[in-house]
Amino acid sequence: MNTNLKISNVTKIYPGCVANDNVSLEFNSGKIYALLGENGAGKSTLVKILSGVIIPDEGKIYLNENNLKLNSPLDAKKNDIGMVFQHFNLFETLSVFENLIIDSDEERESLREKIDSIMKKYNFSIDLDIPVLNLSAGQKQKVEIIRCLIRNPKVLIMDEPTSVLTEQETSELFLSLKKFSEEGILIIYITHKLKEVMELCDEVAVMRRGKLVSVSEIKNENIESLANKMVGQNLKTIRKKKEKTSSDQLINIINLNFISEDPFETNLSDINFSVNRGECLGIAGISGNGQSELFQVLSGEIISDKNSIEFNKNYIGDLNPQERREYLMAFSPEDRLEQAAIPQMAIFENVALNNFKSSNFFNNGLINENKIKEHSKKIISDFNVNTDNIELKSQFLSGGNLQKLIIGRELITSPDLLICFNPTWGLDVGAINYIHETLIKINEQNKSIILISTDTDELLKLSDKISVIHKGKLSKIMNADEVTSEKLGILMGGGN
Amino acid sequence: MIIDINFIGLIIASIMASAVPLILASCGELITERSGVLNLGVEGMMIIGAISGFALMTVTGSLIIAVFGAMLAGVLISTIFAFLTQTLITNHVATGLALTIFGIGISAMIGKNFVGIPGKEFPVLFESLKDTIPLLGPILFGHSIVFYFAFALPFITSYFLKKTKIGLIVRAVGDSPESASNQGINVRLVRYACILYGGSMSGLAGAYLSMIYTPQWIENMTGGRGWIALALVVFSTWNPIKILIGAMIFGGLTIIQFHMQAIGVRIPVQFLTALPYIVTIVVLVVISRDSRKIRLSTPSSLGKSFHKDN
Repeated sequence: MNTNLKISNVTKIYPGCVANDNVSLEFNSGKIYALLGENGAGKSTLVKILSGVIIPDEGKIYLNENNLKLNSPLDAKKNDIGMVFQHFNLFETLSVFENLIIDSDEERESLREKIDSIMKKYNFSIDLDIPVLNLSAGQKQKVEIIRCLIRNPKVLIMDEPTSVLTEQETSELFLSLKKFSEEGILIIYITHKLKEVMELCDEVAVMRRGKLVSVSEIKNENIESLANKMVGQNLKTIRKKKEKTSSDQLINIINLNFISEDPFETNLSDINFSVNRGECLGIAGISGNGQSELFQVLSGEIISDKNSIEFNKNYIGDLNPQERREYLMAFSPEDRLEQAAIPQMAIFENVALNNFKSSNFFNNGLINENKIKEHSKKIISDFNVNTDNIELKSQFLSGGNLQKLIIGRELITSPDLLICFNPTWGLDVGAINYIHETLIKINEQNKSIILISTDTDELLKLSDKISVIHKGKLSKIMNADEVTSEKLGILMGGGN
Repeated sequence: MIIDINFIGLIIASIMASAVPLILASCGELITERSGVLNLGVEGMMIIGAISGFALMTVTGSLIIAVFGAMLAGVLISTIFAFLTQTLITNHVATGLALTIFGIGISAMIGKNFVGIPGKEFPVLFESLKDTIPLLGPILFGHSIVFYFAFALPFITSYFLKKTKIGLIVRAVGDSPESASNQGINVRLVRYACILYGGSMSGLAGAYLSMIYTPQWIENMTGGRGWIALALVVFSTWNPIKILIGAMIFGGLTIIQFHMQAIGVRIPVQFLTALPYIVTIVVLVVISRDSRKIRLSTPSSLGKSFHKDN
């Protein structure tokens, strides 16, 4: 039986933001639909409306010509719309089976049989009697999918399902989704990853700033055309001008070692490198090979031997991050919400945390709020952070905006060296582009960057020199224009 | 020295009797906490139950009205807590503390007229069987209905949480109210129900004190038992059977230290009085060390307000 889902003139307005502006869309079963957009484009709001979590201000939803009243998630379930959320809706301390039986009216035994047959059919293997917190992210997602399948859904919505999956798990998921689609389930796939759209979907709807900008078939699109639609401007392909950099040495790491007491951390051994002014040193590697430890040693979160780090002719290996900032170093850690910013604090308060010496943020132990706010507004406008409310808690900023704020906070002190760790991890194309442009600009101002990243494309684009970290050891330092991504791949795997 | 075996039985029975209010209040609070609500008002709800039970018994003369009235009083006062924390989204800790202070104050005010009035005798069951079995006879027989209910309650609670659908829903709400709400569970309703149930059990625990255990009204007669009940819930890691063990240890040491004082053991009285508190907590911590099990039974959302936003 064919399923037809129609969204008609849906509008949802939040204070200060139109999340969905008069959106109309139509879906038919047998195809996999992509709903594409940057973070904050309104695609999550739209699917939350479809699943009854959010009630729209205006507009109607029709399933096979019937007007649906979706006032709660229960209504969506009753109308055969299943949804797998980006953040899992599971009860971590309950067993898998308890998670599945909780919203089912069936008897234990018959439900168990049903689950077993679903798992057999789609080749899932999950122990039903262990608590959910012992499952991997991929397995948790399968539990969510089983939960939907138990109810024989007509529509299955997946909200950014691959953000927590490994590549192996992602390809397994794609196989399952294709199978569901062949069986007549209408699939709506929400993402900002262009590659996935090209690989999986038949049709794509692009959203931008709450509005639907285009609906088209995948065969008429390519990655560039979709990226341009998503961002709303023709993306410049940025490429760094490779100029001769100065030979004026800024930072020199001499025989740096770090031995961790934590068995899950990587030891660093005999790290030696130097970075000149105006240069970007890229450090590639598969995550977990010592990048996090290297970042912490460079930033001063882990203190090392005084003489192992020479910065601007001072030995600073034994200084903490605050003291290193005074020598004009700046840091952008990997985890934006845990390490770089405090989620529950307002934007301007987070700005004040980087209390550099010349800031005058504090007078005699009192907070100089006007000064901090003025300074925060400058960061927001200089670095294109998309909000004008500096009292907003930083947890409500999207990843891209938060990263811009953090980079801005670090750069406004005009440091000589910026050390960043996966600065564009999890960001959408527009934000990535902006961050890349900013980093290139820093180099052009004769300031230096150490870029630790797991994204090889990014490293090749931005670095002047590249080294690879593997099991806590650095490879020899190579000029970026002599390196190919294949060669990096071999070094990252531990080869020569 | 020959000790009558029935005397040992009597001591054990008196230990069990002193554990009854702790078991009742703890098992009630356990359900409340399992739904994610931290109600620090147990002491207040208990003392309200104690005065309500005693006052109703004196005024109406009916024990049944008095017992159920005390439970109803616990429900009513916990309704205030539920309304504040669930509807007005106030902070659980502050509201619970206020509830305790309120309960102690209002019970003292109502209780003024009931000081010095003797209580009524509460009927006991199986009195005639008491002497039929040595040692076990005084332990098993001749107690009030509330006594038997209290010792069944941990097992009922455990069964309810593990085996029933509603128990599963309570645990789910305590684990993640957001997920539960997205699954179509009415989080506020579940939490209201759990708070009111906890209130009724605290009320019953108070009534047991003022009507059965020491049948009279004394101001502040709960004497911190509500706080011990709260501690039992936490240190038992939300496990009803361990609550039973903890309550028995606490009751046992309380009784034994009385006897030690009476015999004149040369240990400072203050230390003896403090002993049950320390030992109970140490024992429960030791038997609940498994961090994986603690993680699995701790309600993740405990004490956090939940309100659905659209």
